[in-house]
Amino acid sequence: MHELFIEMECSQFTKTGQAACGDDVRFLTVDKEKRYIAALSDGLGSGVKAHVLSTMTTTMALRFLQSNLPTLESVEIIMDSLPVCEVRKISYATFTLFDFALGGRARILEMGNPGYIHLRGTEEIGPVSERKVQSEHWPDRGVRECDADLRAGDRIIFCSDGVTQAGLGERRDMKLGWRRSGVLKFAQEKIAADPEISALDLSRQIASTSVGITKGVCRDDVSCVVIYLRKPRVMRILSGPPFRRENDAEYARQANLGEDHVVICGGTTVNIIERELGAAVKISLADMREAGALPPIGRVAGVGIATEGILTLGRVLSALEEGRPINGEPAAARAILARMMRHDRIEFVVGTKVNECHQDPNLPQELELRRSVVRRIASLLERNYRKTVKIDYY
Amino acid sequence: MEKIKVEICCGTACYLLGATRLMGIEQNLSKEMKDRVEFEVKPCLGLCNDERLGGSPYVRINGSEVLANATPDMVISRVNELLGREEV
Ligand code: FES
Repeated sequence: MHELFIEMECSQFTKTGQAACGDDVRFLTVDKEKRYIAALSDGLGSGVKAHVLSTMTTTMALRFLQSNLPTLESVEIIMDSLPVCEVRKISYATFTLFDFALGGRARILEMGNPGYIHLRGTEEIGPVSERKVQSEHWPDRGVRECDADLRAGDRIIFCSDGVTQAGLGERRDMKLGWRRSGVLKFAQEKIAADPEISALDLSRQIASTSVGITKGVCRDDVSCVVIYLRKPRVMRILSGPPFRRENDAEYARQANLGEDHVVICGGTTVNIIERELGAAVKISLADMREAGALPPIGRVAGVGIATEGILTLGRVLSALEEGRPINGEPAAARAILARMMRHDRIEFVVGTKVNECHQDPNLPQELELRRSVVRRIASLLERNYRKTVKIDYY
Repeated sequence: MEKIKVEICCGTACYLLGATRLMGIEQNLSKEMKDRVEFEVKPCLGLCNDERLGGSPYVRINGSEVLANATPDMVISRVNELLGREEV
């Protein structure tokens, strides 16, 4: 279970004509506990007032969940703190809360929002258990509390009623709106077509499809959260020749991870891979002309992409440090950065032999800092991009 | 007829010491020459640590002959020589 990556994403649209979104979504990861918390709240009405209600709700909810306050107590505090609507005499924002620690069951709390959807592949999975939590202060408001058994590959989807009610009273073919069943069917179709569709893509597609139902006009705020438990996407970056030549073969074997997941970084390194794996790198003069301010990028068929080493890694480091947009980078750095962003876990396999090629007195001195550049890239990826990183030395 | 193989190094050292000046070399070839020469870009020819060879950027011709401090003119005239020799 520990080799799971939890992808939590949300897509939103604000009600047409409103300055602020009345829905609020917040995520929290508690690394120490390997715990993942998500909260979606839909504030009564729309615009700024709704925005304040929903933001108060999600903020309180995250705090209470994290501190393990009992459900009833949390819910009562939330409802008691929200101002009461003069007209409808109800004081609240609806919510869906998701709380999951790796190795355990997920707990989902819902009040007033459309019911969550749990999918394993395309199959809908019901909760393991479910109960109603009723507050004496708020007899007309019940909270549904469910326990769900989550496995690798599962998805949890929940949304505000702006999604399920899209088209309500407006489209003849959807008298009751898109409804939960429509969202469910849509998600199943998308997953059938692309079984590994990311949480972000799926939530985007659901949200934008719901807006499309009313021809792009949002009658209500729209929010869709998708949580996807998947095996982490792993990539490997091999750089530098191993200290001992005897280790070249084993080192090269680390490049067997599939072409989309491997970067070989450095000329000598590429030569080792070619020799050990019987593969050949292809770089053309055109690649060189399109390379921008770095040496060109090549392709080792069946293995991965190949780039120059230290200049390219240095450029990747500075782009991460400064948060520069990927698209403005030279081809080789752009390719590495784009791969890093697509993967959850980045493994560096670093050879530690001093590269004699860089001993030329005409070359700048900083060239031999491969190890420290890799370490700095690693810590930025962990800190700013929520990646897990591993570095192995050879 | 075998093509003449020209490998241009674009490893760190050769790149820093001017390999990019070779990237337009194809355009300077006549049509007949283009058909007889094959260019490849290489990640590091492994020559840059050997001082005796003369210095980056390196170009290797037909897998054995090394041109140090290579420029487009040097490569083209060497290729011309080789083609001329074949013709005789
Ligand atoms: S970088 Fe050109 S021979 Fe090494």
